Amino acid sequence: MLEIKCPYCGKRSQNEFSYGGDATVKRPTLGEEISTEDWDNFVYFRDNPRGKHTELWHHVSGCRQWFKASRDTATHEIFDTCKMNEAFNE
Amino acid sequence: MARELDLNMPVIENISPLHFDHKLGFYGDYENKDDILKLTEVKELSIFQIAKFKKSSVDINQIIFNNLKLPTKSLTVTSDNIARILWLGPDTWLIVSRDKKLIEDIHNIFNENDFAVTDISQSRAVIEISGSKSKDVLKKGSPLNFNNDMFKPNNCANTTYNGINIIIDFISEKPDCFNLFALRSFGGSFYHSITDSCLEYGYEAI
Ligand SMILES: [Zn+2]
Repeated sequence: MLEIKCPYCGKRSQNEFSYGGDATVKRPTLGEEISTEDWDNFVYFRDNPRGKHTELWHHVSGCRQWFKASRDTATHEIFDTCKMNEAFNE
Repeated sequence: MARELDLNMPVIENISPLHFDHKLGFYGDYENKDDILKLTEVKELSIFQIAKFKKSSVDINQIIFNNLKLPTKSLTVTSDNIARILWLGPDTWLIVSRDKKLIEDIHNIFNENDFAVTDISQSRAVIEISGSKSKDVLKKGSPLNFNNDMFKPNNCANTTYNGINIIIDFISEKPDCFNLFALRSFGGSFYHSITDSCLEYGYEAI
């Protein structure tokens, strides 16, 4: 069983969480002219790196908060987690 | 041919969520044991979810509801013998009480500019389980860590039980007693999930 440390609840089982993808993707600015291709890239396309990855997780069966995790996509090691408005300690 | 609506059909009111599942009696391996589990449906609770709006500047520590403060520490409950207030998440709480009069208080104290107040009394099935083996029953379906006194009386948690989202409220210990909340529509399947786990210890449905 993989344990994930929710910044609000502490260490909990992975099956209380759901994965939310790359945390570094920025939504195009509201009201700004944007090409279909850029919009397409924002909505559908993600890098698929091997190694360290900053990602979003949702404690969906717990406190229902979104937070950030720094995780190795190859080993599944989680280096750190933090609230959305915080930075990692590492 | 379409079935016509029978206007003389009896109106069924106040059927509790586990009415068709919770049948009184002794079940499982209960014979020759003096320490079996007890299971009951907790009915007619008032259950309110309180969420503070992000834009609100209210200081939570200044709010007193029925002599109780709102717990700000995660996974904790403040309580007296009238109400229990459970921490559900940041700025989100559950108020549980048998006292219907508290409802007026809720709307006075949690005004609509600062809080979203939702009456979810009808939407939860609630089971009370007590007995020295209750933790073992919970461990069978929930990934929450019940070891090493990590989860103590007046702790609560949102978690899952065999895939069903539930809230566990640790009421008291010796013997351990928990209130378990599931969505009403999951009530039957949650009830059977719990009672299946109780069989090897023996239980009395009261
Ligand atoms: Zn959490």
